[in-house]
Amino acid sequence: MGSFGRFLLKRSLQGVVVILGVISVLFALRYVTPGSPVDFIAPLDASDATRRRIAESLGLNQPFYVQYGDYVVSLLQGEMGYSYRSRTAVAPRVFAKLPATLELAVAATVVAVILSIPLGVISATRRHTGPDYAATVFSFLGISTPNFWLGVMLVILFAVQFGVFPTSGRPVGLLDALGHLVVIAGPERGWALPLNVGPFLAAMQNWLLHVTLPAITLGTYFTALITRLTRSGMLDELGQGYVQAARAKGLPTTLVRYRHALRNTLIPVITVVGLQLGTLIGGAVITEAVFDWPGLGSLIIDAINNRDWPLIQGSLVVIGAGFVVVNVVVDALYVRLNPRVLE
Amino acid sequence: MSRDVDRREFLTLAGTAAGAATLAGCSGGNETATETNDGSTATDTEASEELPEPETREEHLQRTNRLVHDDAPWIFLNRQYSVYGKSADIEWEARRDERIDGYAIEPTGSKSSVTITQSKMDTGLDPHDHRETTTDNIVTQAYEGLLERDREGKVINQLATGYERLEAGQVRFELRSGVSFHSGDSLTKEDVAFSINRIVDPEAGDLESSQSDQLAGVTGAEPADGDSAVIVSSDGINPVVFALFATYCDIVNKSWIESNDTAYINSNMEGTGPFMLDTYEQDVQVVFESYDDYYMDAAPADQLTIQSASEPSTRVNQLLNDETDIIVNVPPQNISQIQNADNASISAVPSTRIIYNAMIYNREPFDSVEFRQAMNHAVDLESIVSNVLGSFGDQTGQPTLEGFTGYNPDLDPYPYDTDEAERLVEESGYAGAEIELHTPSGRYLKDLEISQAVVSYIDELENVSASVKQRDFGTLVDELVGDLEASPSFYLIGWGNAAFDASQTIIPLLTTGGALTSYNNDRVDELMDQAQSMGGES
Amino acid sequence: MIRRLLDAVAGRLSPRTVQNLRSEFDTSPLTKIGVGILVVVLVTAVFAPLLAPWNPEAQNLDRSQQPPLGFTSAENQTTQETVDGEVQLIEETVQVNATVTHPLGTDGLGRDMLSRVVYGARTSLAVGVLGTLLAMLVGVPVGLVAGYYKGRVDDALMRVADVSLAFPSLVLAIALVGLFGQAAVEVPDPLVTTGLAAAIRGIVSLPGGLTYPTGMPETFTLPGTVILVVGIVNWVWFARVARGEALGVRDEEYVKAARSLGGSDQFIIRRHILPNSITPVLVLATIQIAAIVLLESALSFLGFSGTTLSWGFDIAQGRQYQTTSWWIAAMPGLAIVLTVIGINLVGDWLRDALDPGIEGEGGGV
Repeated sequence: MGSFGRFLLKRSLQGVVVILGVISVLFALRYVTPGSPVDFIAPLDASDATRRRIAESLGLNQPFYVQYGDYVVSLLQGEMGYSYRSRTAVAPRVFAKLPATLELAVAATVVAVILSIPLGVISATRRHTGPDYAATVFSFLGISTPNFWLGVMLVILFAVQFGVFPTSGRPVGLLDALGHLVVIAGPERGWALPLNVGPFLAAMQNWLLHVTLPAITLGTYFTALITRLTRSGMLDELGQGYVQAARAKGLPTTLVRYRHALRNTLIPVITVVGLQLGTLIGGAVITEAVFDWPGLGSLIIDAINNRDWPLIQGSLVVIGAGFVVVNVVVDALYVRLNPRVLE
Repeated sequence: MSRDVDRREFLTLAGTAAGAATLAGCSGGNETATETNDGSTATDTEASEELPEPETREEHLQRTNRLVHDDAPWIFLNRQYSVYGKSADIEWEARRDERIDGYAIEPTGSKSSVTITQSKMDTGLDPHDHRETTTDNIVTQAYEGLLERDREGKVINQLATGYERLEAGQVRFELRSGVSFHSGDSLTKEDVAFSINRIVDPEAGDLESSQSDQLAGVTGAEPADGDSAVIVSSDGINPVVFALFATYCDIVNKSWIESNDTAYINSNMEGTGPFMLDTYEQDVQVVFESYDDYYMDAAPADQLTIQSASEPSTRVNQLLNDETDIIVNVPPQNISQIQNADNASISAVPSTRIIYNAMIYNREPFDSVEFRQAMNHAVDLESIVSNVLGSFGDQTGQPTLEGFTGYNPDLDPYPYDTDEAERLVEESGYAGAEIELHTPSGRYLKDLEISQAVVSYIDELENVSASVKQRDFGTLVDELVGDLEASPSFYLIGWGNAAFDASQTIIPLLTTGGALTSYNNDRVDELMDQAQSMGGES
Repeated sequence: MIRRLLDAVAGRLSPRTVQNLRSEFDTSPLTKIGVGILVVVLVTAVFAPLLAPWNPEAQNLDRSQQPPLGFTSAENQTTQETVDGEVQLIEETVQVNATVTHPLGTDGLGRDMLSRVVYGARTSLAVGVLGTLLAMLVGVPVGLVAGYYKGRVDDALMRVADVSLAFPSLVLAIALVGLFGQAAVEVPDPLVTTGLAAAIRGIVSLPGGLTYPTGMPETFTLPGTVILVVGIVNWVWFARVARGEALGVRDEEYVKAARSLGGSDQFIIRRHILPNSITPVLVLATIQIAAIVLLESALSFLGFSGTTLSWGFDIAQGRQYQTTSWWIAAMPGLAIVLTVIGINLVGDWLRDALDPGIEGEGGGV
């Protein structure tokens, strides 16, 4: 096994330990927080006997280690138990909400990358000019602005005053919109080139209209962050010997800037962005609240307010585990790109 | 009422009582004139002592309301309104009991499908295992009860074709014939008896139903010999039994319930109603289609979709964009936006919910009647209703809402009178008291704003200071339902009473041993005991 | 203890560092702006009872939704009247003008926005500073111990840190505040209880013969759970920095010497390892205050707080009035942005002057 393989193995094992820790911490939380879930399920005027029977029906009368064991076993089978409130399975509910959150996160990342990298490059290559100052001010504001307030202001301006975008909601999902294409070009139509893309375009337009403001809201912080990183990275690279050498060889300056300097700048940028995923998901939770975007955020907040423990645990385990996995992948990627760090 | 700031500015600068009186006086002809009778409370109290003994059940309930008004265990606040937005593509009017009956929605023009946007989705589809209006609104499209109510709240037949009282603790329902469940199974008297027992008896249906208290007094049901009828037994006479069955107890298919597990019952439906379940996407939407074999005319709408959006502005937005046909809980500040739109309008009715501040009767300083009355005089309820609720609310002065059995039409809300309030506080001996109002936020329409306004009015008294404490609804309720000792002394809560009978508010909230009681008065207990042992159906 | 810390700070700040701080300050206009903003916000927070024109909780329903100076608002209003149980709708247009007495306008209950913004600074800074201190008190010792002992201790502590990093801080904070309840502590406001505020406000005369109302809130609500939670959520950053510093010096000659002289581990950590990490911890603390101010506002916005006097809470309230009264949400948000910019500029200054090797900026909610 090569050194990279060993690193990957060790890092993955650490990841597994952390995920187990996440599960345990979430489970322990139930026993240290005040208030019984029964109070949130039972009607206002329920008798003590009623409460007791509800507790039994939820398995809450079992000792905690039995409940814990049952829970870990069910997780291993891909299940997350049954919601206290609706008595339905938790796993499908959590996974049904995931696409909305992910598409918001992806849209925000796309906005951020499209805007920030050119902005950072321009800022670095035209140092101390108007555009540089503008980009610097923008990125400073972007980092200091709470995104939920930005969202509310965007709604007031572009939805309420000008009526350009809807205030909130997500009437159609990205996958549903793309689904129209699959039907048109599907096997039953002989994979013919779609001629009638009307429904697809209408759904896409609807989705884009609704996702624009939330994506800007969530993406602004990252746009600002990546602009700063790109700018300082580019400045470092442009000062390096090889860029000076390339210039001396007579290579056109634009080629030098974009091919070499930018590629070297992007490696740390990607790493940092990967590690900011937690901020992205946290930001998505509050952006969802501003725009009534039906993702994991609203599910978690409702679950917490109702003390629906299986649902709280399920959604937080998914977020925690997803975050750990992404971290391992980013670490691996970083090591792959910079094998020197292993030595 | 106009909100002409310049004139207000003048009055405020004038800063005199005369100025305030002028403002009240010129508030226009569309409002009830403010009471100015300082001695009204005292007169009422004396009068009630001289009143003759009540005779009928109605008189007992009215007398109880008078006692409660005089003794003021609550700060009486407002009756909540149900305010809906509806699209121009449908014909529909709001009901009083916060429910939306899909069968009553008529799409116009070429439209055949209807969408409703509520604030929340269901908490599972088992019709006997939930207690929220949002879930009710979904399950009652597919499930029906024995009796029903019309838009005004009057009891009408549904799966029963007749009902009668056999003896003190026994009533009989005649069942409609030719009714079938969505699976095609015929409705039997065994199904009906099973449905009732599943709610009231945990052993019968293997379910701890959260609705057992909704059928208070009912002990069980059994199929009648021979005829297609069911006999329901109660503890004692149970005068409200028909009122309860008109609101609660959906009828389910016994064999379907017995052969499926909890998770299945909570994600599928098998009722007798005009709509049958088409697709169920939990937390997202429920789609119904019209049930062809319904025992009456098929529903006007072929398809009914119920979805949710927790933010009011999202719902308004959906309505104005023609994405939905009915939206619930339009907040006051959005009402005119809808009313002024071409494609939508407002439908509003007084609901069955009362908002009040409980003051625990044996806790200082609330153990003084004078202090409690003072709190009622301190609050400018009229201003709260017109400014905080945008006039969509009614002032109350008793626990029972207008139109309910037992409402006492002779009682007016406490007049706003800070001098009287300060005088009563002095008299109570609790001058200088500091009180804290516990309030949920976002549970009821403008609950936090109402609490902040109430506290601010009380704080304006020279001799009382007040503050507000925002609470998580769950933990607040947790404290309210246990021992009276654990409860905060002073809290805001709302109570919906879909049975339209005073007893269903007074017994749980104001009698000794009531589940959410904050009050103990032997005379009230006695009057309610007498009322509940008398006939005289509501 | 505090004395020793201060000595350590001063001791660590070599004349060269002090020189760096001073020259950075002199040459960078941005630093001056940042320090200026921070001083203004601090003074506002401390002297809120003297500076706020009105009691921030005092409502005046007849003056609700009044726009800020320079704006007027004309809105359609629909009210109802119930006749024989049937609701009838009445429509009218209402014109509301700004007044000098409420320069930033009023909210839905007629409370003065300027006073609420002034008092909101208290909540933000109190949570920001106390939360950061708590995070520091938990994180720095853990980090120092992990870095000093290395090996198993380090591994175990760092896995605990990983678990707490596995949740986005906002999500973790929502969960903890939501589940533990929103406890708050009422702290008496000395400026008000001593009568100082009333006395000073009484003698200030305003143009036009108007006088400031003198009744200000006697207590200040400190959202206790929120402070604990933001501290718990953010300790790990301090642990990481302290651990890095400890790892860097544990094998230095002077530490080895102290060990061979028989110094106890506790003594060595306190005397030799801790002082070394003070500069980076201070810079991190500045950044963390900004992050926690943002986190607190987000929690209040979502209703997971213990106070109703907070910028985030007011933004949430203002959002309900977004179709009619934009200023209710706008004003407190501007206050947050300004405060965070001030803190971040000061953070940049410290970082550039002290060069502790920490990247990043306080932000990300």
